[in-house]
Amino acid sequence: MRSITITINGIECACRAGDFVKEVALAHGIAIPSLCHHSALPGQACCRLCIVEAGKPGKGKSVVTSCVFPAEAGLEVETDTEKIRRLRTNILELLLDRAPLGGGALAGFASEYGVTDPYTPEHPDEKCILCGLCVKACEKLGNSAISTMMRGIEKKVGTARDLPAEDCIGCAACAKVCPTGKIACTEAGGVRTIWEQEFALLPCPVCGKPHITGREYDWLKARFGADGDAGGTPFDAFDPRICPECRRRTSSAHAGTLPASP
Amino acid sequence: MSTHTIRVCCGTGCIANGSRGVAAALREAAARAGAPAVSVETQVKATGCHGFCAKGPVVAVDPDGISYYQVKESDAEEIVASLGGAPVERLLFRREDGTFARGEADNPFYEGQVKIALRNVGKIDPLSLGDYRARGGYEALEKALAMAPEDIIAEVEKSGLRGRGGAGFPTGTKWRSCAACEETQRYVVCNGDEGDPGAFMDGYIMEGDPHSVIEGLAICALAVGAEEGFFYIRDEYLVALDHMARALADAEAAGILGDSVLGSGRRLRFEIVRGGGAFVCGESTALMASIEGRVGEPRAKYIRSVQKGLWDKPTVLNNVETLATVPVILKEGYEAVQELGVGRSRGTKTFAMVGKVKNGGLVEVPMGTTIRQLVFGNGGGIAGGRPFKSIQTGGPSGGCLPESLLDLPVDYESLDANGTMVGSGGMIVMDDRNCMVDVAKYYVGFLAQESCGKCTPCREGLRHMHAILTGICEGKGTEADIERLEELGFTLKEASLCALGKTAANPVLSTLRYFKEEYLSHIQDGFCPAGVCRALVVFGIDAEKCKACGLCAGSCPASCISGEGKQPYEIDAARCTACGNCRKACHFEAIHPEKRMAV
Ligand SMILES: Cc1cc2nc3c(=O)[nH]c(=O)nc-3n(C[C@H](O)[C@H](O)[C@H](O)COP(=O)(O)O)c2cc1C
Ligand code: SF4
Ligand code: SF4
Ligand code: FES
Repeated sequence: MRSITITINGIECACRAGDFVKEVALAHGIAIPSLCHHSALPGQACCRLCIVEAGKPGKGKSVVTSCVFPAEAGLEVETDTEKIRRLRTNILELLLDRAPLGGGALAGFASEYGVTDPYTPEHPDEKCILCGLCVKACEKLGNSAISTMMRGIEKKVGTARDLPAEDCIGCAACAKVCPTGKIACTEAGGVRTIWEQEFALLPCPVCGKPHITGREYDWLKARFGADGDAGGTPFDAFDPRICPECRRRTSSAHAGTLPASP
Repeated sequence: MSTHTIRVCCGTGCIANGSRGVAAALREAAARAGAPAVSVETQVKATGCHGFCAKGPVVAVDPDGISYYQVKESDAEEIVASLGGAPVERLLFRREDGTFARGEADNPFYEGQVKIALRNVGKIDPLSLGDYRARGGYEALEKALAMAPEDIIAEVEKSGLRGRGGAGFPTGTKWRSCAACEETQRYVVCNGDEGDPGAFMDGYIMEGDPHSVIEGLAICALAVGAEEGFFYIRDEYLVALDHMARALADAEAAGILGDSVLGSGRRLRFEIVRGGGAFVCGESTALMASIEGRVGEPRAKYIRSVQKGLWDKPTVLNNVETLATVPVILKEGYEAVQELGVGRSRGTKTFAMVGKVKNGGLVEVPMGTTIRQLVFGNGGGIAGGRPFKSIQTGGPSGGCLPESLLDLPVDYESLDANGTMVGSGGMIVMDDRNCMVDVAKYYVGFLAQESCGKCTPCREGLRHMHAILTGICEGKGTEADIERLEELGFTLKEASLCALGKTAANPVLSTLRYFKEEYLSHIQDGFCPAGVCRALVVFGIDAEKCKACGLCAGSCPASCISGEGKQPYEIDAARCTACGNCRKACHFEAIHPEKRMAV
């Protein structure tokens, strides 16, 4: 890809043509708020919080979503105009009304923008903002144990018919990417509970602390083990049962397959 | 010996009114009359829509130029017997002044209409390739085969044709960008999803002239260098699906499509895909996702589908009506379209006019025709002679225009500038008994149901707008609600992902712009002047106008209307449910809405 320069808030930013503006901004120390973007799971553009004003010089600017807007030579971007702040405030009001109990990043942005819910929430206990990251994470791992159901204002995320999903391996990737803390995931007595299913955890062979679920281990082995569909590496290079702390101490490279937490 | 052709409209509207039975009866009557003593030949053809749906079943007699309306099976004998002589007067269209129109030529419904996209609809048997070819069908394709792709594109560009599916994007420009892509595996797609409630022109073109759409897509494929194409057709359109499938098979069997298009050695393969059943599936990126077998949800269009569309390959998507127009441009020259219209809106547009208009149906007029001409000329005015109040154009996310804009020309720019759009061409006419707040609520409710739910402003914003509008209609509105609606409208427009959300506030913003007093009546006075919002209204009888006919009392389901002898009737307001039946029943305009008093 060609090297180009774009301007974000007056700062010249070098990047490659086609890089997403949000990532370019981040690489240059400019944070743009977002709730549905994860660098390993790009392309959703559904929360609309990452909007910015962008355009070519002399052509006027329009509102675009920076998480999917491709950089083009000479592009000028403003990430924090009055119009953008007004729209973000409105969007946060809508999200907060949908998920009044949403914590994490949602709560953080709401307080940053001084937003409180001006409406009357339909579901006062809700936490999910339908950002879709959990579904994408699960899909990317190849399980698709959870999905979005229904359409429009009825839309929700969950397992098929709300029953414990057979495909779920208890990896908790969904819970890790969730920006609002919606997905309950608890661990006690060597058992992880997620999506109303219990999964036995395997002890870390180094320190003995429970780490990954047996189902996830089997799944990884079937995929990345010596006889797995995806070949011997990187599974053979490290033992996925080793917990992150021990791994940091014992091994250097981890060509992980899971998306890192945001 | 004179030859007559009797054409029976077998469009969806007329079929619903029994036209297939009428066609059968005419065939039988013609067969019986075919005895040696009768010197006429008749032919009954099942054609597509004649446009005048309000008065179906429609039967036309060629070459006499006679059109009959609301024909029944029992009329068949008389029609056949009249052939060659005077027409059956009672079946002719009766004009405003009481005189009869012999056929389309002297019927005001057809005044000013120019049929380009609809050129064959209602004129030919849609299932007959021979009929299509007899009217010059596939000559444009033949011409295109002998042309360089660049020249085809130039011709379409010069015609000024713009997309008829909603956005009005210049067709030639779209084709040019696709043809310029490096990737040579390319696709063409016809959008026949037509999910707007009240719109039916694309369905009628596919039903009534399927080959014109196939020819249009074939020319498009030649121009952009594609070999494969898809017709994405709304699942409920059974007749359109059937006719398109049969026409495709006929075209393949005749060597028009397939491995060597008309013997040229060029390959073209078209396939039909049944729609995903949601309004949003008509949106270009959702439609392509749906063809690929994914969930029909839109994606951001910063990388356009002419570059990366179906399976990430360059793809041109065009609407049915756009494609049906294309063969005319090639066959007759770009001028055929370019010379009609105004400004940057060239050619004709079909409109499906429904609602409170007297003669609703399908019309095709040059761009720039005024709303007044459409409603009062072609449409014959408002049903029952009531006052015109508003016209909603552009489908569910279009806007409502007031009476003061009746002389507005209908073209992309003029409608846009006034808060609505051409859209797919749906038009709903409203009279003084339509409440504009209620209308806005209806459309927002529809769109909230049809939103794919992916992005925040559309999913959550529409839900709130609907709740606020419902509150206003129930008398719970405040003035702050108006500001809130405007702010939500701004957010939807600026921050939604796809055009559904970006335009979804139009019904609200346009009614706030032109009918704000009506919102304020609901909010400040607790009254719905149109007599629609039942929580705010009871009906009352004007003693001066009441003729004591008693029709109202008979129509009242709550039995709360009483009266005797020659005395004016009275409504017991406490028991009135504001259903409005009595107002409809009264012939003397004696019944009107009044403010419902709190109990
Ligand atoms: C929600 C939504 C629904 C749409 N439905 C249709 C449709 O049913 N038929 C159609 O031709 N275009 C529809 N469109 C417009 C298409 O996205 C697209 O612009 C069009 O098919 C392109 O063809 P054209 O340039 O020939 O108009 C819709 C757009 C939106 C946003
Ligand atoms: S559960 Fe969390 S990650 Fe999943 S859609 Fe809801 S907010 Fe997003
Ligand atoms: S604007 Fe509405 S229909 Fe379009 S992507 Fe967003 S939620 Fe879906
Ligand atoms: S982060 Fe871009 S739309 Fe959500």
